[in-house]
Amino acid sequence: MDKRKMIVHSTHAFLGIVHFISLWFALAILITGGDFILVIFLHLLSTAVIILAGFSTHSIFSHLGANRTAISILAYEPVLVIIAISAFMLTGSFDISALYASEVPPLYKMPLAFIALLLILPVKLKKSPFDVGEAHQEVVGGVELEYSGIFYEAIYTAKWLDYVFCYLLVFLFGGSNIWLGLILVVLTFIYINALDNSTARVSYKQMLRFCLWVALPLAFANLLLTMFNIL
Amino acid sequence: MKLNKYRKKSPWILHYNAGGCNGCDIEILACLGPKYDIERFGMINSGNPKQADIMLVTGPVTKRSRERLVDIYSQMPEPKVVVACGSCTCTGGVFRGMYNCEGGVDQYIPVDVYVPGCGCRPEQIIAGVVEALAKLEQKTKDIEKSIRLDRSPQINNGQMDRREIAVEIAPGKVFG
Ligand code: SF4
Repeated sequence: MDKRKMIVHSTHAFLGIVHFISLWFALAILITGGDFILVIFLHLLSTAVIILAGFSTHSIFSHLGANRTAISILAYEPVLVIIAISAFMLTGSFDISALYASEVPPLYKMPLAFIALLLILPVKLKKSPFDVGEAHQEVVGGVELEYSGIFYEAIYTAKWLDYVFCYLLVFLFGGSNIWLGLILVVLTFIYINALDNSTARVSYKQMLRFCLWVALPLAFANLLLTMFNIL
Repeated sequence: MKLNKYRKKSPWILHYNAGGCNGCDIEILACLGPKYDIERFGMINSGNPKQADIMLVTGPVTKRSRERLVDIYSQMPEPKVVVACGSCTCTGGVFRGMYNCEGGVDQYIPVDVYVPGCGCRPEQIIAGVVEALAKLEQKTKDIEKSIRLDRSPQINNGQMDRREIAVEIAPGKVFG
């Protein structure tokens, strides 16, 4: 017999499953080399759905987690979209397969975008300086607070899918050079874990200010560089 | 899908202090810290009763905290086990007979494992949790048993009679 599930209400449980499924779709399109904008949209959809689920209960901690997750979307989403546009300027299409096939690794063509991605990855992965969404239990548990049993399993698996998603984004910067991509993934993994264990949490305002004043201009500068073909 | 196999290997712990002196809480934190490190067994200290399997309670239940204790206990989904950490949690300990508490968690919620000691050593806590895991497995099986009956109810005078079966599934046997 499995752990009993306590369902708050059916919509809440359903939104959790939708979160899981839409993340799978985003991952599948990213792997098969589909449209970059569609990938970002599906990823945003999955996060938006879990935020809706957080707001659909009466628990104040669930609301708090949903609010803070919404703020973290505000921090990383613009950067991600600008990186996608930079990739469009580089390859001339929004297809990710063009990035996979590019002879010169995109890392050399858009290094600033890679740095901007490194700066927003802790926000997406909920790692330490920017883990406002759940704050390591200090705001009890974030949006997934009210899930239990098999529905929580879906949410928990989705969290790991998110990791795969983020590291695949890093892998994209290797282009057709698989080894460069793998090295980038390993280095990013070490960087994220070192950062998580060596920094203290900042407040959500500081996070927002950092992402919108440092990471976003970096990504934008990169967009200009790629647009005028300087590198 | 069976969560069961994985849950046995990584039980999630909920820790609640029902008014103790914090001695046992510090020992529980020592278990989670680098020296004893029970997180390597997959035991995560989750702050959320809805996702926890094992409840670690410390402290004699003070009159202020007992409502919350029962509240948190009832928020945990079945199957669940309760581990009482520390002498004052088991019997009242040094607080026994005081005006603000009533000595012992088991007056309010069913306790499965008693861990003695004031404060209890981290080794004892780990042993208690391992014991609790065996109980958790047993409870999991018992829940299944209460659903799958071995015998079908008899029919007396056109009336279904489950009394004999109900004797076999005594409440103590099923849930505690
Ligand atoms: S058992 Fe002793 S050390 Fe532990 S909480 Fe009670 S009084 Fe404190």
